[in-house]
Amino acid sequence: MLKGAAERSLFGVAATIAVAAIAAALPWFGVSSYVRTLVYYTAYFLALGQAWNLMSGLTGYVSFAHGALAGIGAYAVVIAMNAELPLWLALISAIIASVLASLIIGVTSLRLRGIAFTFATLFFQELVLLVVRKLSFAGGPGGIVLQEILPIWLPHVLMMAAAAGATIILLLIKRTRMGVRVLAIKDDETAATAIGINATRLKLVLFAVSAGIAGFTGAVHGLFASSLFPNVVFAVDISIIALAVPLIGGAGTAMGPVAGALLYVLIREALQVIAPGLHLTIVGLLLLAVILFMRDGIVPVLARLMARGKLPARAVPANGPGA
Amino acid sequence: MALLEVEGVQKRFGGVHAVRGVDLTVEKGALLGLFGPNGAGKTTLFNLIAGAAAPDAGRVRLNGVDITRYPAVRRARLGIARTFQVVRPFRSLTVLDNVLASVPSAAAAHHNTVDDAMTILASVGLDRRAGDLAGQLTLGMLKRLEVARALALEPCLLLLDEPLAGLTTGEAADLLSLIQKLKARTSIVMVDHNVRQSLALCDRAVVLDAGAVIAVGTPDQVRRDPEVIRAYLGEAAV
Amino acid sequence: MTLLLQLVANGLVVGGLLGLVALGLALIFGVMRVVNFAHGEFITLGAFATYLLVNNLGLSPLLGIPLSFVLGAAVGAFVQTVIIAPTAGRPELDVLMVTYALSIAALGLFSQAFGGDFRSYSQGPSGTLDIGGVVVGWRSLTVLLVCLAFGAATMFLMQRARIGIALRALAQNRDAAATCGIDVRRSELLAFSLAVGLAAAAGSLVSLIGTVTPNVGHEWVLDAFVVVVLGGMGSIGGAIIAAIGLGLIHSFASFLLDDSWAKILTYVLIYAALLVRPQGLLGRADA
Repeated sequence: MLKGAAERSLFGVAATIAVAAIAAALPWFGVSSYVRTLVYYTAYFLALGQAWNLMSGLTGYVSFAHGALAGIGAYAVVIAMNAELPLWLALISAIIASVLASLIIGVTSLRLRGIAFTFATLFFQELVLLVVRKLSFAGGPGGIVLQEILPIWLPHVLMMAAAAGATIILLLIKRTRMGVRVLAIKDDETAATAIGINATRLKLVLFAVSAGIAGFTGAVHGLFASSLFPNVVFAVDISIIALAVPLIGGAGTAMGPVAGALLYVLIREALQVIAPGLHLTIVGLLLLAVILFMRDGIVPVLARLMARGKLPARAVPANGPGA
Repeated sequence: MALLEVEGVQKRFGGVHAVRGVDLTVEKGALLGLFGPNGAGKTTLFNLIAGAAAPDAGRVRLNGVDITRYPAVRRARLGIARTFQVVRPFRSLTVLDNVLASVPSAAAAHHNTVDDAMTILASVGLDRRAGDLAGQLTLGMLKRLEVARALALEPCLLLLDEPLAGLTTGEAADLLSLIQKLKARTSIVMVDHNVRQSLALCDRAVVLDAGAVIAVGTPDQVRRDPEVIRAYLGEAAV
Repeated sequence: MTLLLQLVANGLVVGGLLGLVALGLALIFGVMRVVNFAHGEFITLGAFATYLLVNNLGLSPLLGIPLSFVLGAAVGAFVQTVIIAPTAGRPELDVLMVTYALSIAALGLFSQAFGGDFRSYSQGPSGTLDIGGVVVGWRSLTVLLVCLAFGAATMFLMQRARIGIALRALAQNRDAAATCGIDVRRSELLAFSLAVGLAAAAGSLVSLIGTVTPNVGHEWVLDAFVVVVLGGMGSIGGAIIAAIGLGLIHSFASFLLDDSWAKILTYVLIYAALLVRPQGLLGRADA
């Protein structure tokens, strides 16, 4: 039973690497730029969603600020590149910037239980936009532009790496002792503390890792977009997508954000033609429907539907009783 | 030096004086019973020892170290393990993972590997349920799972909060014989509102009423104490 | 001195509005243990309802205030019955995400329907009142008076009326209240409906002194969240003190620095408060 789970996660890692490698090679296969862009955005939303999933999906502490953390990464990378830093160093500074920013939220609110963290992220989202608009070295309200012109494949390949890396981290962390302790915190923080789990420290570390992934993802997207406007980069929409993607797919699972990201990109494309302004409304309604009627997201529902098609006689045990 | 020394602890909740200046000591290797009718302040006192709450006055010392202001997690690291009156398992984790989640105390000799955890599960009779989700166990099993989780800390002091509450007679007998065996491994403080089942197991007993100690001594002394009979056993004798 | 009083007057108007919004949030949290992330969109609802009544039907904005309250109360009752009540007994996270999802959907709808234009109207009270050199617009004065009236009425309801006592009992101890024969479902319906009515009325007042955009409620509710966190979640008294305090801070900081600095200061304040006094101004420190 335990071995089976370990094998499954190893298989998951291998599958993730394979899919990401194929997706990363797309620029050399002569696919249309439309397809390439769709793949790019799926990976972008997947990476953001996994970053959110790592903190909020595993611990149950909901973050409304992952878009802002990614935005800090984007700004940091562009500022660093414009200061003539090499690409790798610029990416590392983006990760560091986002991790440091996450500490503002974490140190003030993660000692506390419950809603304080969520409020701290909500205020952070607004605070960052206000502050960035005041910073002259970040271009103020007018934003900044990346001076160097990068080859088009570079952000594409990096984003596939971000999505795959984030998914693999989630798969592996759930197999470690740390992952078990994190899930214990989600189930019952009082009981977790009583058996020696330092919940505050664990939440802080996990949030920092999650912010680092968001920062890297945002940095890559900053390279892709190359012009950053504060009102766009720090729009609340990105934070909404970061949480909607895993929640719709299935929070706390590695596959959930994959399904969520694919579905979201499909919806966005469909609405682009019909009603471009309605995509947030649709996301909101979808999220509402999933929480009210599909507690574990769409992945278990899809799995059940597929299982019913193949094995009509044998009932597939659900993920435990709906306690 | 005693393992645990509680000195003059007090705790108020609003207008209620739940614990009013209690002293008690637990010697190494001893099982101390904490008795008293409902509302006597047992659970509050228990929480003050476990670190779930801080006293308004008084001291709590473990091996001579003042731990009055230590939070629960730090006490766990020092080897104070506890169970809960209403069980709090990690329902979405397997039985094995429930035990693996425990962080061994600083003095522990083991690292809580899968083998360690299976040995502990075997000692509470849950090894065959290791792969099941904790949410699928019966109450009697969950009580034993909480003991297993606490043992994984390799505690120097095990705090049991009403371990027999809600159990059937058979389950209670199982758990009592388990506690009997645990005495060889760790010191124990056990809270119970029912004297009859567990008094015989104790080395010493403390009886609380209205937040204060009304009797201390061996089970025999406590059983014969007129204060206890009046305030407490009398009620059960009716 | 006059300047000082002027700033205090401005601060009180903002504080009154924040208080009205925060009062609803505290009421919902106190009675239902739910943080209503959709509260801002109910402010927007009241603001647009009033704007449309004034602009399209030619009604007085003063009439828009009670109409917004009634509309808000009705929408609140619908949302509570259809969306929030079914999540009873579910983990806190679910309920929180339900209100957040609702907020996203509503924000999207408002943006789609009204676009990013800044809307305002000139009907209704106008002109200014000079009280010993302190100039207060009639509109601002209206806002302050209506806030006081709604606030006083709500407090009276909570202190005196039977349903208010039921609500306070629920906030104290749900299980005990239920065993005392208090109808939990009905009380929650009333609390949510009343709170949303207050938010919509606040939105109506916002339209009187500012511009109406799809984001207007979101901006106000963020400050109201600051207020409830500072005041101690669910504490109505704490919320009112914090609302007035924040209104004053805002007024002075906007004058001395600028509007964004005032907001940045607000958020810095909240992080400091979380560090130093997480239970809020009047909250108790519980283990």
